[in-house]
Amino acid sequence: MKISVQKLRQFGGQGLDLPIADLVTRIGSQLGGVEAVEDVGAKYQGVVVAKIVKCQDHPNADRLHVCSVDDGGMTANVDRDADGNVQVVCGAPNVREGMLVAWLPPGATVPDSVAGDPFILEARELRGVVSNGMLASAKELAISDDHEGILEIDSTTAKPGDAFAEAYKLNDYLIDIENKMFTHRPDCFGQLGVAREASGIQQLAFHSPDWYVMNPVFPAIDGTELMFNVSNELPSEVPRFAAIAMSNILISPSPAWLQTELSRLGMRSINNIVDLTNYYMLLTGQPIHAYDYDKVKALSSGDTAQIVIRNPRESEKITLLNGKTIDPRQEAIMIATDQQLIGVAGVMGGAETEVDDKTTNIIIEVGTFDMYSIRRTSMAHGLFTDAVTRFNKGQSPLQNLAVMAKIVDDIQRLAQGRVASQVVDVSQVEGREWVHPPVPVTTDFINLRLGFQLSADEMKQLLENVEFKVQIDGMNMSITAPFWRTDVETREDVVEEIGRLYGFEHLPQILPMRSIAPVAKNQLFELKGQLRDVLSRAGANEILTYSFVHGDLFDKVGQDKSLAYKLSNALSPGLQYYRMSLTPSVLEKVQPNIKAGHDEFVLFELGKSHIQGEIDNTEEGVPKEANAVSVVYATKLPTKTAPYYQVRHYLDWVLRSFRVTDTIKLVSLQDAELYKNPWLEQMIAPFEPGRSAVLVDISESETAGMIWGVVGEYRPSVTKALKLPAATAGFEIDPLVLLKPSGSTPYKALSRFPSVTQDLTLRITSGASYQSLAAVVRNTLEKTVPSKALLTMEPTSIFQRPDDIEHKQVTFRISIASYERTLTDAEVSNFLAEAASAAHNSVGAETV
Amino acid sequence: MIDEKLVAALKARAASGDSGLLRSPEFRSLFGALKTLPNEQKAAYGQAVNQLRQELEVTLASSVDEAEALPAIDVTAPMDINSIAPKMLPSNTGSIHPLMAERDKILDIFYRMGFNASESREIDDDYHMFEALNFPDGHPARDDYDTFMTEQTAADGKRLIAPAHTSTMQNRMMQKYKTNLDKDEPIAVIVPDRVFRNEDLDARHEHTFYQLEGIYVDKGVHAGMLIATLKTFLQEYYGKELEVATQPYYFPFTEPSFEFSLSCPFCDKAGCSICGQAGWIELLGCGMIHPNVLHAAGIDPEVYTGFAWGCGIDRLVMMKNGIEDVRNFHSAKLDFLRQFA
Repeated sequence: MKISVQKLRQFGGQGLDLPIADLVTRIGSQLGGVEAVEDVGAKYQGVVVAKIVKCQDHPNADRLHVCSVDDGGMTANVDRDADGNVQVVCGAPNVREGMLVAWLPPGATVPDSVAGDPFILEARELRGVVSNGMLASAKELAISDDHEGILEIDSTTAKPGDAFAEAYKLNDYLIDIENKMFTHRPDCFGQLGVAREASGIQQLAFHSPDWYVMNPVFPAIDGTELMFNVSNELPSEVPRFAAIAMSNILISPSPAWLQTELSRLGMRSINNIVDLTNYYMLLTGQPIHAYDYDKVKALSSGDTAQIVIRNPRESEKITLLNGKTIDPRQEAIMIATDQQLIGVAGVMGGAETEVDDKTTNIIIEVGTFDMYSIRRTSMAHGLFTDAVTRFNKGQSPLQNLAVMAKIVDDIQRLAQGRVASQVVDVSQVEGREWVHPPVPVTTDFINLRLGFQLSADEMKQLLENVEFKVQIDGMNMSITAPFWRTDVETREDVVEEIGRLYGFEHLPQILPMRSIAPVAKNQLFELKGQLRDVLSRAGANEILTYSFVHGDLFDKVGQDKSLAYKLSNALSPGLQYYRMSLTPSVLEKVQPNIKAGHDEFVLFELGKSHIQGEIDNTEEGVPKEANAVSVVYATKLPTKTAPYYQVRHYLDWVLRSFRVTDTIKLVSLQDAELYKNPWLEQMIAPFEPGRSAVLVDISESETAGMIWGVVGEYRPSVTKALKLPAATAGFEIDPLVLLKPSGSTPYKALSRFPSVTQDLTLRITSGASYQSLAAVVRNTLEKTVPSKALLTMEPTSIFQRPDDIEHKQVTFRISIASYERTLTDAEVSNFLAEAASAAHNSVGAETV
Repeated sequence: MIDEKLVAALKARAASGDSGLLRSPEFRSLFGALKTLPNEQKAAYGQAVNQLRQELEVTLASSVDEAEALPAIDVTAPMDINSIAPKMLPSNTGSIHPLMAERDKILDIFYRMGFNASESREIDDDYHMFEALNFPDGHPARDDYDTFMTEQTAADGKRLIAPAHTSTMQNRMMQKYKTNLDKDEPIAVIVPDRVFRNEDLDARHEHTFYQLEGIYVDKGVHAGMLIATLKTFLQEYYGKELEVATQPYYFPFTEPSFEFSLSCPFCDKAGCSICGQAGWIELLGCGMIHPNVLHAAGIDPEVYTGFAWGCGIDRLVMMKNGIEDVRNFHSAKLDFLRQFA
């Protein structure tokens, strides 16, 4: 929202005369973020009003003229003739002797070019004649789009030697305040509203101009009466629709002051009528629309103009002022005649009833439309106009007539218009004083929320400065917001108002007091934090990837796309689906890192996954979110070890760190019962069944039998599709499994006596599982070794002779230390022999 | 519609694991044929071709899987046959993601200040994203949140939403800790988690980022306490005295609302590249919780008041470490991550 400081001062009087930097600071801290401050006058440095005292044809060019201009001698360092005039060459068709013009002397910058590529003038020859600077068009002066000829300045406006910026009131600053701050402030979309606030935040009383707050008076019909009817079929969405007809309109370009007022605030000048509607919108925030009366009448049946407010009928279309034809949404508020559409209410007028150069009769509409409907229509058709920006903040329906009376008055003066009808005011609202009834509130209520200690009188003063009405009865106050404040409805709104007007910089900075009872830490954050520590200490790198993935990724890893939540407004196909497990996202990051020169690494991510149809176990009924951690090991270095064992090592490390080794069993994926669990089915999709295992819960809790995740290598097609190195493997588990420690602490007391260490090598068939052998050896040892002893057992190798691939040999290193005495080698050998014998009986193992 | 003989031939080739199949002239001829069809048949034909392509892809993948499958292994073994026991990578190559590491620091400060903490959600409903936060349907403030939505709908018939702010958790946290109030304890919770905005990616804008939500509700809570709490947190976080400033702002879920700035902790207001020579950093939005929001959580706004804030975490981390491009965070580049080892 651009604010003209000159306008603020016009409305706000002397109170706003503080230096611009101070004003900007105050606005910033008490009204809203200032995005930019533009010194408009700076563009016009050196530009001076001059009179063309002589104008002759250029000797060497048909279209050019050589002028002598009189600037009252105001410009220094320029060549002058004997009379003190300056020679300027001009190519404009309208240049003539006696004209008052804007002269850009050498050294001045063309105002129009300041924002882009600044063009600085100099004295230079044009076809052999020296031109000192140039005479400027309205476009070059950045006050309108008119580039037909040079700007002719009215002699009542200025005299030679006047600074151009002064004459055109362009010595102004524009303060650009963030729109978002005003989302709930329809009044601040007008210069008037911001002027009021600018006074209020300095604790100065503001008085709106009489025409805005007094009851408006309309002149009687003058001459021809123009008949029209309004019928409102949508009273709940159109609380007010006021209209008046005017005749005898003389369409012309706007006077210079109006053109500059508009251009400064970023609007294009069109003609006097359209410009006035825009001007009063800029001042008050109330959009106004002008129709060509005769065009409306021609599109109506009978010989009266008919205006109907209604929804569009099926397949009705309308061509808008911007030239586009739309098929308006069914619920849009439309303006129509009794025969066809003529405008999208509050959004944009229709082309067929546009005010043009030939218009002589008009209808002025000052309406109020439902902000939600306007917003939806604007969004549906991509129409973002100044009117929409204002209407969708909820303009007050109590300002229509005042604004209408003011513009009618101006049209009489600037376009010779005559009032040609009564005011037709189709209104659902009553009164003039307020939109929301008075808010009862106490000083305590306000002070408690702000930490202030303001008295009722102080609060009253703050509010009255911005034209609220306040009644005090002890601590009780009754606050009536003025009619333009559609946003002040509750006591909290009054709190905001008082806090802001008084200044939030006065808020007392006091920490809240609370008891010293400890708060519980969040279990998930704690768990995930520990998991990050465990994995990063093991050399793994935590990554974050997007929650959204490409549909193709599902295909590549064999997941069922139809189960994934799909975004309806994705930024790109690469971010179209919610992921169903983390592993595919992590796998996608392997190849880029290999390419970047990293030969061997472990990536991990902690995140969430989602599957359609799986609903959270709460009454909210929102989709279930599954926690997951995915770890991927990859190396492009030659290795003899299947990557499964590499990543299995990481899994063991994680499980051991959280002490859940005893409650988890690994079962080959090809033998596992998956119970039709959709999460699991999607999670295991990338894994190669013969070279992967699932984590089965073997605890004695209610989760017994549950599968917590998968570890393994990937299917060849996945490796191929994602360009993974051959040695890639990983696991994905639900980290909640780590919250289920088996209970036993791993610590065992140290023994005072030396331990005896012996290796036991057993041969089993290649197909037998290591686990079955290790279990029987360990169980036997735990049974036979005296309880008062410390037993450790570690596998040291699994060996296969090249000449006997039917078998493999597993070597365990077993250490035993008694707490009571020194064991002999023979005793320990006996324990091992018993274990070997048990292994022979149960899995057919042979001692080597 | 598609020549059946050709389909059969393509399927046979897929089953045999012909990896060049989808780029073969025979397969591509199917697309060429599209042009020759009458308009009304094009859509159905295109669909049929796409479906065939997917079928062939699945067949190809499984034939690759069959042809190239390695022998099954003993998944219960701790090491491979004839191989040494696997070792982990050295500790010093490992790293925690800088965003997560910083989140833990923030959590630690707020734990010490007596706040509970919670995760947020990655998929949520309209009620928690907007309704419960005093954004009625069609409210213009909804425009400021470029939300991603799903094609699928929630139980209320509205599309599901990828939360654009952690404020989606306000209602839930107030409900969860409401009993604190009965014990004369405040509701004090932070939610530092992932959020999403439908925003094009560049060096300063991410569609996926992290936000720190905070709420505090008790009897007698005023706006000055909000400012003091945030200032205290930031001074602890940066380890130095700071100045703070507020600007009035507008959020539907707080009244009054503020934009909160702090004096630049990197140059002490002298002006530097981090604060854009301004000496101040606009950091977060905050305000007093709107009575409608308290009410929606079953808390009586007559008795209790509270404050809330939302602050971007990514920016804190970028400023602290001089990270030049927000896209690094989700790049998973080891060159980036290992600098935080």
